[in-house]
Amino acid sequence: MDTDNTNWMPVKNLMGKSTVRFGQHLSFQFVNTPRRLLYSLSYYKFAAKLIGVEKNVIDIGCGEGLGTWVLAKECGHAVGVDFDKDAIQTARSNWPSSQVRFTDCDFMKIEDACYDAIVAFDVIEHILPVNSPDFFNKVSNNIAHDGLFIVGTPNETSHMYANEVTRKGHINLFSGQRLEEQMREVFHHVFMFGANDEVIHTGFLPMSHYLIAVGCRRRKANQRQ
Amino acid sequence: MSRIDIYVEGVVLNVMVNELEKWNEVKQMLGHRSMSLGAHWAYNLLNDPKRLSFVLSRYKFASKMIPIGQRVLELGCSEGIGASILCERAGNYMGVDFDQEAISVAQANFNNPKVSFLVGDFMGNKYGVYDVVVSLDVIEHINSGSENVFFDTICRNLDTDGIAILGTPNETSASYASSASIAGHVNLFSGNRLRQSLQKYFRNVLLFGMNDEVVHTGFTPMSHYLIAVACYKRECRAT
Repeated sequence: MDTDNTNWMPVKNLMGKSTVRFGQHLSFQFVNTPRRLLYSLSYYKFAAKLIGVEKNVIDIGCGEGLGTWVLAKECGHAVGVDFDKDAIQTARSNWPSSQVRFTDCDFMKIEDACYDAIVAFDVIEHILPVNSPDFFNKVSNNIAHDGLFIVGTPNETSHMYANEVTRKGHINLFSGQRLEEQMREVFHHVFMFGANDEVIHTGFLPMSHYLIAVGCRRRKANQRQ
Repeated sequence: MSRIDIYVEGVVLNVMVNELEKWNEVKQMLGHRSMSLGAHWAYNLLNDPKRLSFVLSRYKFASKMIPIGQRVLELGCSEGIGASILCERAGNYMGVDFDQEAISVAQANFNNPKVSFLVGDFMGNKYGVYDVVVSLDVIEHINSGSENVFFDTICRNLDTDGIAILGTPNETSASYASSASIAGHVNLFSGNRLRQSLQKYFRNVLLFGMNDEVVHTGFTPMSHYLIAVACYKRECRAT
């Protein structure tokens, strides 16, 4: 008669022997606020599903590349960009796959290319308002005419509940309205979503903890509003 | 209106009167309109009331995808049950349906200069230039031989910057549908087929699934309902 162990071992063997190591950033989160990993992954999953399959995606501010890996698996190919060298090192050792690659560079300084989709979660709130237009221009210059840009940032209305570390880093918080206006300068079509925990929805934006905007059909520079 | 004094620890409280007065004030603010449901929605509300909830939820999602102040055309609006929600953001709205009785119900219910209804078979017709075309629970009733005419109709009513929002039951839900639903559904779509069909006409198609009132991006074959948001019409040049 089969024991539970004899049934389990073949399953276990199917999984292989790979391991994944969290670096400084993800380990800090996993130890202190593990729920952050859940909703971060949920944003990436949402982005990946909207982007679709057989796409080439760039993930700006990819950190240790957990979300980049989700994009690569779901969409086909992904490039992660982050100026944190340690984080990129961790990302490279965790995801050795031809579907994904990582660049330790400031997104603003990468060589222009043409991506099917650009993803930027938790990036724009760290960019000074004076540099914000350059960022959106850089996005526009690197996206295909029919590409998608998916940007996520904490709602300014959630600032009062944020912890000190978070508050320190956030130098340019957006309301839903301002994010929509900013996105409409660069894209013909903008779809706004809110998120609370892992749930992405279209409810009342001022009560959404997090904001996600989806832009399609970028405007040419001379047609910006 | 009678006044009822209540003595509580030596203090006089006119509780009943005040509550009723307060309520009447609120009531005045509501106006004095009444609406009636026609055969279609009365049937639904009496037999399967939860339907109203998820149908309205589809309209709410569509409404949130529409930028404020835009021109909205609904193809297959029936009794206009979604017009109010779409008009929360739309600048103006026109609903078209070939069911004369349903349109009469809609017209009797809406006395709003932003809202209009028209009786007609929309297939192949152009009603103007719209920013948004919404069509929920329509395409599954159109024979697959005519579905291209339906997509053409959507596109010809859309401005270059227009978006289309389509909803239809997932083909995987057919085995759970009522016999009345099954009889009417002649062209059910999978998520992939809906996306691919729309991609012939639009460069960008965002596909969502829905179970009950919840719109999501989960595993499409297990979504009861499909909603696609399509933009960047093929005939438009890259700008």
